[in-house]
Amino acid sequence: MSGTIVSNRIRQLRFEKGEITQQALGERIGVTRQTVNAIELGKYSPSLEVAFRIAEVFGVPLEQVFQYNPVRSPSKKPS
Amino acid sequence: MSFREKSAWITLIAILLVFALYGLHAPRLSDPGPFELHALLACFAAFLAIEAIAWLVLRLRYPEDARTPKDERERLIDLRATRIAARCYVVLSFLAIVIAIHLTNDNIAVGYYIVLAFVIAEIVNYGARIIYYRRGV
Repeated sequence: MSGTIVSNRIRQLRFEKGEITQQALGERIGVTRQTVNAIELGKYSPSLEVAFRIAEVFGVPLEQVFQYNPVRSPSKKPS
Repeated sequence: MSFREKSAWITLIAILLVFALYGLHAPRLSDPGPFELHALLACFAAFLAIEAIAWLVLRLRYPEDARTPKDERERLIDLRATRIAARCYVVLSFLAIVIAIHLTNDNIAVGYYIVLAFVIAEIVNYGARIIYYRRGV
Protein backbone atom coordinates (compact mmCIF):
# COMPACT_ATOMS: atom_id res chain seq x y z
CA MET A 1 0.00 0.00 0.00
CA SER A 2 1.37 3.42 -0.92
CA GLY A 3 0.85 6.53 1.22
CA THR A 4 0.83 10.20 0.33
CA ILE A 5 2.36 13.26 1.91
CA VAL A 6 0.89 16.72 1.50
CA SER A 7 3.50 19.28 2.47
CA ASN A 8 2.94 23.03 2.70
CA ARG A 9 4.74 26.37 2.83
CA ILE A 10 2.36 28.13 5.21
CA ARG A 11 5.07 28.98 7.75
CA GLN A 12 7.21 30.59 5.06
CA LEU A 13 4.24 32.41 3.51
CA ARG A 14 3.23 33.76 6.94
CA PHE A 15 6.76 35.10 7.32
CA GLU A 16 6.69 36.69 3.87
CA LYS A 17 3.30 38.27 4.64
CA GLY A 18 4.76 40.22 7.54
CA GLU A 19 4.74 37.47 10.15
CA ILE A 20 0.97 37.05 10.23
CA THR A 21 0.17 34.99 13.34
CA GLN A 22 -1.47 31.57 13.33
CA GLN A 23 -4.34 33.12 15.28
CA ALA A 24 -4.87 35.86 12.67
CA LEU A 25 -4.65 33.36 9.81
CA GLY A 26 -7.07 31.04 11.60
CA GLU A 27 -9.59 33.87 12.05
CA ARG A 28 -9.40 34.75 8.36
CA ILE A 29 -9.93 31.20 7.14
CA GLY A 30 -12.44 30.14 9.82
CA VAL A 31 -10.44 27.62 11.86
CA THR A 32 -8.76 27.68 15.28
CA ARG A 33 -5.11 28.58 15.90
CA GLN A 34 -4.48 24.94 16.86
CA THR A 35 -5.81 23.76 13.50
CA VAL A 36 -3.52 26.17 11.63
CA ASN A 37 -0.64 24.79 13.71
CA ALA A 38 -1.68 21.19 12.92
CA ILE A 39 -1.82 22.02 9.18
CA GLU A 40 1.64 23.64 9.30
CA LEU A 41 3.12 20.62 11.05
CA GLY A 42 1.51 18.20 8.58
CA LYS A 43 -0.68 16.64 11.27
CA TYR A 44 -3.88 17.54 9.45
CA SER A 45 -4.73 17.89 5.76
CA PRO A 46 -7.37 20.62 5.41
CA SER A 47 -10.46 20.43 3.22
CA LEU A 48 -10.25 21.89 -0.28
CA GLU A 49 -12.30 24.87 0.85
CA VAL A 50 -9.90 25.76 3.67
CA ALA A 51 -6.90 25.13 1.39
CA PHE A 52 -8.29 27.60 -1.16
CA ARG A 53 -8.99 30.14 1.59
CA ILE A 54 -5.38 29.89 2.79
CA ALA A 55 -4.11 30.45 -0.75
CA GLU A 56 -6.48 33.41 -1.11
CA VAL A 57 -5.17 35.02 2.10
CA PHE A 58 -1.61 34.81 0.81
CA GLY A 59 -2.64 35.81 -2.72
CA VAL A 60 -0.92 32.84 -4.37
CA PRO A 61 -2.14 29.80 -6.34
CA LEU A 62 -3.02 26.69 -4.34
CA GLU A 63 -0.01 24.74 -5.60
CA GLN A 64 2.32 27.35 -4.13
CA VAL A 65 0.89 26.62 -0.69
CA PHE A 66 0.40 22.85 -0.82
CA GLN A 67 2.53 20.25 -2.56
CA TYR A 68 1.34 16.72 -3.18
CA ASN A 69 4.20 14.22 -2.83
CA PRO A 70 2.99 10.68 -3.54
CA VAL A 71 5.14 8.07 -1.85
CA ARG A 72 5.67 5.03 -4.02
CA SER A 73 6.26 1.64 -2.45
CA PRO A 74 9.89 0.47 -3.01
CA SER A 75 8.83 -2.67 -4.89
CA LYS A 76 7.08 -0.70 -7.63
CA LYS A 77 9.28 0.62 -10.41
CA PRO A 78 8.08 3.59 -12.46
CA SER A 79 7.35 2.58 -16.06
CA MET B 1 -3.79 23.05 23.99
CA SER B 2 -7.16 23.91 22.44
CA PHE B 3 -10.31 24.56 24.46
CA ARG B 4 -11.86 21.31 23.25
CA GLU B 5 -8.78 19.28 24.05
CA LYS B 6 -8.90 20.66 27.58
CA SER B 7 -12.60 19.72 27.73
CA ALA B 8 -11.75 16.19 26.57
CA TRP B 9 -9.08 15.88 29.29
CA ILE B 10 -11.56 17.04 31.94
CA THR B 11 -14.20 14.57 30.79
CA LEU B 12 -11.71 11.71 30.68
CA ILE B 13 -10.37 12.49 34.16
CA ALA B 14 -13.91 12.89 35.53
CA ILE B 15 -14.96 9.50 34.12
CA LEU B 16 -11.83 7.78 35.46
CA LEU B 17 -12.16 9.41 38.88
CA VAL B 18 -15.87 8.79 39.39
CA PHE B 19 -15.88 5.23 38.13
CA ALA B 20 -12.68 4.33 39.98
CA LEU B 21 -14.48 5.38 43.16
CA TYR B 22 -17.54 3.43 42.03
CA GLY B 23 -15.33 0.41 41.33
CA LEU B 24 -14.06 0.44 44.91
CA HIS B 25 -17.61 0.13 46.22
CA ALA B 26 -19.14 -1.86 43.39
CA PRO B 27 -20.38 -5.35 44.10
CA ARG B 28 -18.37 -8.30 42.81
CA LEU B 29 -19.34 -8.78 39.19
CA SER B 30 -19.49 -12.57 39.52
CA ASP B 31 -22.02 -12.28 42.37
CA PRO B 32 -23.55 -8.80 42.27
CA GLY B 33 -26.54 -9.19 44.60
CA PRO B 34 -29.37 -6.65 44.30
CA PHE B 35 -28.92 -3.89 41.74
CA GLU B 36 -27.72 -0.73 43.50
CA LEU B 37 -29.39 1.88 41.38
CA HIS B 38 -28.77 4.65 43.91
CA ALA B 39 -24.98 4.12 43.73
CA LEU B 40 -25.05 4.25 39.95
CA LEU B 41 -27.22 7.37 39.93
CA ALA B 42 -24.93 9.01 42.50
CA CYS B 43 -21.99 8.28 40.20
CA PHE B 44 -23.68 9.87 37.21
CA ALA B 45 -24.68 12.87 39.34
CA ALA B 46 -21.09 13.27 40.58
CA PHE B 47 -19.81 12.99 37.02
CA LEU B 48 -22.26 15.63 35.76
CA ALA B 49 -21.38 17.94 38.68
CA ILE B 50 -17.62 17.67 38.01
CA GLU B 51 -18.22 18.25 34.30
CA ALA B 52 -20.44 21.29 34.90
CA ILE B 53 -18.05 22.93 37.38
CA ALA B 54 -14.96 22.25 35.24
CA TRP B 55 -16.73 23.48 32.10
CA LEU B 56 -17.78 26.67 33.89
CA VAL B 57 -14.21 27.30 35.09
CA LEU B 58 -12.85 26.70 31.58
CA ARG B 59 -15.48 28.97 30.06
CA LEU B 60 -14.69 31.78 32.50
CA ARG B 61 -10.95 31.39 31.96
CA TYR B 62 -11.10 31.13 28.15
CA PRO B 63 -14.30 32.97 27.12
CA GLU B 64 -13.15 33.61 23.53
CA ASP B 65 -12.21 29.97 22.91
CA ALA B 66 -15.47 28.76 24.45
CA ARG B 67 -17.51 30.89 22.05
CA THR B 68 -15.60 29.74 18.96
CA PRO B 69 -17.59 27.14 17.02
CA LYS B 70 -15.96 23.81 16.20
CA ASP B 71 -13.90 23.90 13.03
CA GLU B 72 -13.57 21.10 10.46
CA ARG B 73 -10.63 19.39 12.22
CA GLU B 74 -12.45 19.33 15.56
CA ARG B 75 -15.60 17.96 13.89
CA LEU B 76 -13.52 15.25 12.18
CA ILE B 77 -11.92 14.32 15.51
CA ASP B 78 -15.40 14.11 17.09
CA LEU B 79 -16.65 11.84 14.33
CA ARG B 80 -13.65 9.51 14.35
CA ALA B 81 -13.53 9.17 18.13
CA THR B 82 -17.30 8.59 18.33
CA ARG B 83 -17.08 5.93 15.61
CA ILE B 84 -14.35 4.05 17.51
CA ALA B 85 -16.30 4.35 20.79
CA ALA B 86 -19.54 3.16 19.18
CA ARG B 87 -17.85 0.05 17.79
CA CYS B 88 -16.17 -0.53 21.13
CA TYR B 89 -19.55 -0.26 22.91
CA VAL B 90 -21.24 -2.73 20.56
CA VAL B 91 -18.46 -5.32 20.95
CA LEU B 92 -18.18 -4.87 24.73
CA SER B 93 -21.96 -5.01 25.23
CA PHE B 94 -22.12 -8.26 23.30
CA LEU B 95 -19.22 -9.64 25.34
CA ALA B 96 -20.89 -8.36 28.52
CA ILE B 97 -24.05 -10.33 27.79
CA VAL B 98 -22.15 -13.50 26.86
CA ILE B 99 -19.78 -13.32 29.84
CA ALA B 100 -22.48 -12.40 32.36
CA ILE B 101 -24.75 -15.22 31.24
CA HIS B 102 -21.93 -17.78 31.32
CA LEU B 103 -20.49 -16.51 34.59
CA THR B 104 -23.59 -15.78 36.64
CA ASN B 105 -26.79 -16.36 34.61
CA ASP B 106 -28.03 -13.27 36.44
CA ASN B 107 -29.89 -10.33 34.86
CA ILE B 108 -28.40 -7.89 37.36
CA ALA B 109 -24.88 -8.94 36.42
CA VAL B 110 -25.76 -8.28 32.76
CA GLY B 111 -26.80 -4.75 33.80
CA TYR B 112 -23.51 -4.14 35.61
CA TYR B 113 -21.46 -5.48 32.71
CA ILE B 114 -23.32 -3.26 30.24
CA VAL B 115 -22.72 -0.20 32.43
CA LEU B 116 -19.05 -1.20 32.51
CA ALA B 117 -19.06 -1.51 28.69
CA PHE B 118 -20.58 1.98 28.43
CA VAL B 119 -17.95 3.47 30.75
CA ILE B 120 -15.07 1.79 28.89
CA ALA B 121 -16.50 2.99 25.56
CA GLU B 122 -16.60 6.56 26.87
CA ILE B 123 -13.01 6.28 28.14
CA VAL B 124 -12.03 5.08 24.65
CA ASN B 125 -14.03 7.96 23.12
CA TYR B 126 -12.26 10.71 25.06
CA GLY B 127 -8.90 8.93 24.98
CA ALA B 128 -9.14 8.75 21.18
CA ARG B 129 -10.01 12.46 20.99
CA ILE B 130 -6.94 13.38 23.01
CA ILE B 131 -4.71 11.16 20.87
CA TYR B 132 -6.13 12.71 17.67
CA TYR B 133 -5.63 16.23 19.06
CA ARG B 134 -2.03 15.53 20.01
CA ARG B 135 -0.83 13.25 17.22
CA GLY B 136 -2.94 14.52 14.34
CA VAL B 137 -5.91 13.25 12.43
